[in-house]
Amino acid sequence: MNKQGKLYTIIFTFIVSFVFVFVLAFANDVTKERVEINEKLFEVRAFLNAMDIVYGTDEEALDIFEGLTEEKIKETTLYSTTVENEKIYAYRFSGNALWGTVNGVLAVNEDVTRVIGLDIISHNETPGLGGRIEEKWFRDQFRNEKISENGISINIGGDGDYNHENSEFDSITGATNTSQSMKTIINNSIKKLKDLLGSDE
Amino acid sequence: MMANNTARGILKDNLWTNNAIFVQILGICSTLAVTNKLENTLIMAIGVILVMGFTNLTVSIIKSLIPRKVRMIVQTLIISFYVIIVDIILKAYLPEISRALGPYVGLIITNCIIMGRAEAFAQSNKPVISFWDGITSGAGYMYVLLIIAFVRELLGFGTIFGMNVLPESFIKWTIMVMPPSAFFMLAILIWVFKGIMEKKEAK
Repeated sequence: MNKQGKLYTIIFTFIVSFVFVFVLAFANDVTKERVEINEKLFEVRAFLNAMDIVYGTDEEALDIFEGLTEEKIKETTLYSTTVENEKIYAYRFSGNALWGTVNGVLAVNEDVTRVIGLDIISHNETPGLGGRIEEKWFRDQFRNEKISENGISINIGGDGDYNHENSEFDSITGATNTSQSMKTIINNSIKKLKDLLGSDE
Repeated sequence: MMANNTARGILKDNLWTNNAIFVQILGICSTLAVTNKLENTLIMAIGVILVMGFTNLTVSIIKSLIPRKVRMIVQTLIISFYVIIVDIILKAYLPEISRALGPYVGLIITNCIIMGRAEAFAQSNKPVISFWDGITSGAGYMYVLLIIAFVRELLGFGTIFGMNVLPESFIKWTIMVMPPSAFFMLAILIWVFKGIMEKKEAK
């Protein structure tokens, strides 16, 4: 058969595409369960980190997560638990940042006057720049942060604001836009939580 | 051009005399993007090495069957195949790394070094040596990127592989975190390497 002919070219391209795509589909199918478990674990860990709950292994994390109270307020699911006589709520947020959607968890106390913590489940920000929102130093800025009347505000520059009474956090150097978006997302979430938990007077 | 096609000749060619980054100036996109952290750079480079090795191997094995007209399309198909495989493996078995690299894994497809080697080498050479060519080309890419990333992470974050090495009082060079600094670093590296090369030639 003429290898440069039209018929051969079409048949060859078809077979090659079919074989490679078939193998990919197979590989995808084989690993599907694992990927789903990994994604579930990311989410569970994010909830626990945001709520400042310490866990050891992944199994332990799943167990603790199962133990959280699931509450449905005005069609929104919140997870709650009691730590040191204080009830805390975790809310799974989703919002737009520079390149795509950021999914994460924000935990607050019962009267929404303090952030308990923040963690990111998934994002599409630039690795090494905006992607640093998931790094610990960035998230730790929100640990026990006081919520002011205007929510949380941002400081451009600096490398970490660990004064938790000033309701402020530092932006990521080189990723001002992503940081600004995070501020908006967090404040929207706080507003929503205030609305849900009924402390908005 | 290729001096000789022995394993040693290829190694020397890909690491030094014909280095993809500082001689052929290929794969610059990823050089600029990933190099502000050593960890991301290393993982990205390993991904490129694997994809390049196996792409070359595959192209070389089926080269006599590929019609000339669709040669490039088939090469791209093979490259994307391996990139997606790498992506799937990372997602399933190394989820943390997959998360850190985010969209960069998919971008390996557009790394022109891979297609360059498939077209320039694997199309006209035997499978095993083509595989070797892919691996060594990738290694040439890796060490240049690691040098750039080392300087950028050290000066930009004051860290090496995420570990603090510089004192607290060190003022971080913000520019090193941003993409433009990769241009400066790359230009300086090309200057240094070319300088060394020319000195050698003059002798």
